[in-house]
Amino acid sequence: MEIVLETNNLEKKYKDFRALNHTNMHIEKGAIYGLVGKNGAGKTTLIRIICGLQEPTSGEYILYDKSNKNSGIITVRKRMGAIIETPSIYGEMSARDNLIEQYKLVGMPSLDGIEELLKLVGLEETGKKKTKNFSLGMKQRLGIAIALAGNPDFLILDEPINGLDPKGIIEIRELILKLNKERKITILISSHYLDELSKIATHYGFLDNGSIIQEITNEELMKKMEHKIELKVSKVKEFVKYFEENKISYEVIDSKNINVYGENNLSKFITELSQKNLIADEIHEKEESLENYYMNLIGGDNDD
Amino acid sequence: MIRLLNASFTRLRKNKTFWLLIIFSIVLALFMIYTQYSDMKNYGEVIEVEQLMLNYSTMIGIVIAIFTSLFLGVEYSDGAIRNKISIGHKRVNIYLSNLIIVTVTNLFSYIVFLGIVASIGIPLFGSITIPISKLLMLLGTIFVTTIAYSSIFTFLAMVISNKTITAIVSIMFSFGLMMNAMICFNRLEAPKTISEASIVNGETKIKEVPNPRYLSKEKRTIYQIIVDINPAGQMFQIAGRTAPNLKVLPLYSLGLIVIFTGTGLVLFKRKELK
Repeated sequence: MEIVLETNNLEKKYKDFRALNHTNMHIEKGAIYGLVGKNGAGKTTLIRIICGLQEPTSGEYILYDKSNKNSGIITVRKRMGAIIETPSIYGEMSARDNLIEQYKLVGMPSLDGIEELLKLVGLEETGKKKTKNFSLGMKQRLGIAIALAGNPDFLILDEPINGLDPKGIIEIRELILKLNKERKITILISSHYLDELSKIATHYGFLDNGSIIQEITNEELMKKMEHKIELKVSKVKEFVKYFEENKISYEVIDSKNINVYGENNLSKFITELSQKNLIADEIHEKEESLENYYMNLIGGDNDD
Repeated sequence: MIRLLNASFTRLRKNKTFWLLIIFSIVLALFMIYTQYSDMKNYGEVIEVEQLMLNYSTMIGIVIAIFTSLFLGVEYSDGAIRNKISIGHKRVNIYLSNLIIVTVTNLFSYIVFLGIVASIGIPLFGSITIPISKLLMLLGTIFVTTIAYSSIFTFLAMVISNKTITAIVSIMFSFGLMMNAMICFNRLEAPKTISEASIVNGETKIKEVPNPRYLSKEKRTIYQIIVDINPAGQMFQIAGRTAPNLKVLPLYSLGLIVIFTGTGLVLFKRKELK
């Protein structure tokens, strides 16, 4: 699988504060990579470094096979579009004029495609209205259109739904999915709205105290998060044999613990086990959200 | 660089501050012509059109400070610099393209002023009374000083990331340069002696005594160098046609351009952006 962006032991220090601490991240081509972390975890710092706004203290990142230590990084950045915190929009200009400006900045040979972009983000009817009078959602959508002006393969969206109303959130979500599916754009999206992120991400990187503590695919994550029954048993092998025979999804955690996945009715499940003389020492039923998963992962209270 | 300039000129055409600057240049030219024409009609004063052409130079520092801080301040406040870097433009090119756009605009505003003064002033007040070569030299020096001013305020706008702070610092700095020039001129123009009155036997006697504020030769040289380096000092001397070192002024301006642009490039290259 082709890697679009990779960071190796990336570190960023501000005087005594370490914002990034040996961060290792891998984004595959075609992915929607959800960068998960609470406020202050280091998401925006990481994005600022990748976008060239700041230099790492140590470590490196590789974008399309070019290291940040190589001058070619500037060239490959042209394959990238980004919104960092707030979209880069001239408030005194209309949506169309902002796109013309961006087309000239990226060196597009003609202005063809501006109308299509405006249509894509649903701003084709805004005419000469100055963008400073746009709603936050409209500004975010225009920011995405601007980021798309150079036909990038890789889009970075830092907190794109911050401050949006529910309608705005849905619009941005649908736009991101459309860009990924129809235009095959790889997307790095950072957010602390985990429920929203869980609706679009194909991969996750969990960031805490400046370090990526886990990278996981959506598939793997769903498996870990789905309805599960945690069993504490003394005869693991016998349980495993039963689960295999009955095609029950399970995972052996260690010599005493097994997780069983799927929508199993707990009382029926216990009855079935006891009929086979499979007696568990402890049984717990659990259902997790991405938020809980993250909080368990970082081992803290959900205060975000 | 070409892309950056192309985009910046596109923005300039749509920019309110730019059009206000041009309108200001036109209104200022018309106002100066009107007041001079009134003086000519009412008091029979002889008006030299070339003097009108030079007058804008005394206040252009403040105008450049306002325009540059507002035009470039938006680059930070609206996230444009962030955007330019993230799509692969070099910081050096971003800085230089901003310097070029600001310089060209400031020179253009002076050219607009000159155009209005020449097209209306010459028919009203008569043709230019000094040799054209002398006028061109004065205007050329004004243009080089305008570039120096542009490099100073571009430096401030690119190093300070906050639009409001940039505007305040730039305007205060431009006034500071003017104040500094005026203080220096005041000292340079102090007479060698002053009259001192004393009463002896009920009679008032006036005698000339050495002026304690009169500068020594060494100090006079230092003060002159200060006003020659100071862009506001340069402009006052050019407008007053009193510059003893006119030919050296562009060299000082070039020095300012190199120092401020060089330092600005180094600082902007290292700047941690948000």
